[in-house]
Amino acid sequence: MSTAWAWWIVIFVVGALNYVSRLSFIALFAHVEMPPLVARALRYVPSTMLAAIVVPGVVFTAPSTLAFSYTNPKLVAAAVAASIAWRSRSPTATMAGGMVALWLAQWALRG
Amino acid sequence: MSPPLLGLLPFGLVCGVGAQSAGASVWQSLGLSGFMFSGAAQILATQLVASGAPTAVTILTCFVVGLRFLMYSAAMAPHLRSLPPRWRHALAFMLTDQAFAVGIRRFRDSGDKRGAASYFLGSGVLLWVTWQCSCLVGYWAGNVIPTTWSLDFIVPLCFLSLLLPTLEDHSMRIAALASGVAVVALDALPMRLSLVCAGLIGIAAGIISQRRAR
Repeated sequence: MSTAWAWWIVIFVVGALNYVSRLSFIALFAHVEMPPLVARALRYVPSTMLAAIVVPGVVFTAPSTLAFSYTNPKLVAAAVAASIAWRSRSPTATMAGGMVALWLAQWALRG
Repeated sequence: MSPPLLGLLPFGLVCGVGAQSAGASVWQSLGLSGFMFSGAAQILATQLVASGAPTAVTILTCFVVGLRFLMYSAAMAPHLRSLPPRWRHALAFMLTDQAFAVGIRRFRDSGDKRGAASYFLGSGVLLWVTWQCSCLVGYWAGNVIPTTWSLDFIVPLCFLSLLLPTLEDHSMRIAALASGVAVVALDALPMRLSLVCAGLIGIAAGIISQRRAR
């Protein structure tokens, strides 16, 4: 099979699977009553999934290289960004402050 | 809506660069961003196709990474119940990490379901258009930006700024902490199953801590 075909198959099949996943429970719970335990569990989805996305991007400096120390500039920058986010509640300030902190930490920890 | 858009730009650049260096044509790159509409899946797909992995393996891996959409779908479901089916079908396509994080907050905070749904649809369309543009720019010109700038770090920062406001009570903080620890501990799992497993562990931890508090 040529690579061109492989690309298009992957694009359309994964695209379709993603759409089915995204629609799944929206379609189901439009017709079926949601069990109370499920409803309670779903309250935690934003916090847990956001944490699961953020943490690897901060504590891994390369694939499967865990750097949980102050010499990891990303960890330093994330701590600064978190304290900005906690106080200001402003996402723009969080991202700007986090990037500046990252560049400063990279510069300070160089060599 | 501006913070997720800001976070999207560097992420899209990274995806565009990935598609270009994996040998995709510009149409294939547009197909990836337009139909998959998921940065994580696009990056995995380009890496796997470029490395010559069997097509079935690529599809399965991308599907597993997309399992988190099941959770988003379930969390969004109660809010979309009262809407007409074609609204539900259209909104489901927009259910990305960013749109979910922004949209679910709007649905919870506002009593006006239709207003929140319009907001969700509008932000979804805006995110989709921005995503196509930033992936295209990445495809054509992404290599111009030096990697030493670490612009891709805006992606976790963006999600961090969305995460902190959700940590309003003790059980939410326990859930997020458990999920964060689990995703690192389970990093060795294949196909990035760590992501969805950590989500489930976090949910369980949240429910248990809430029961104890009572």
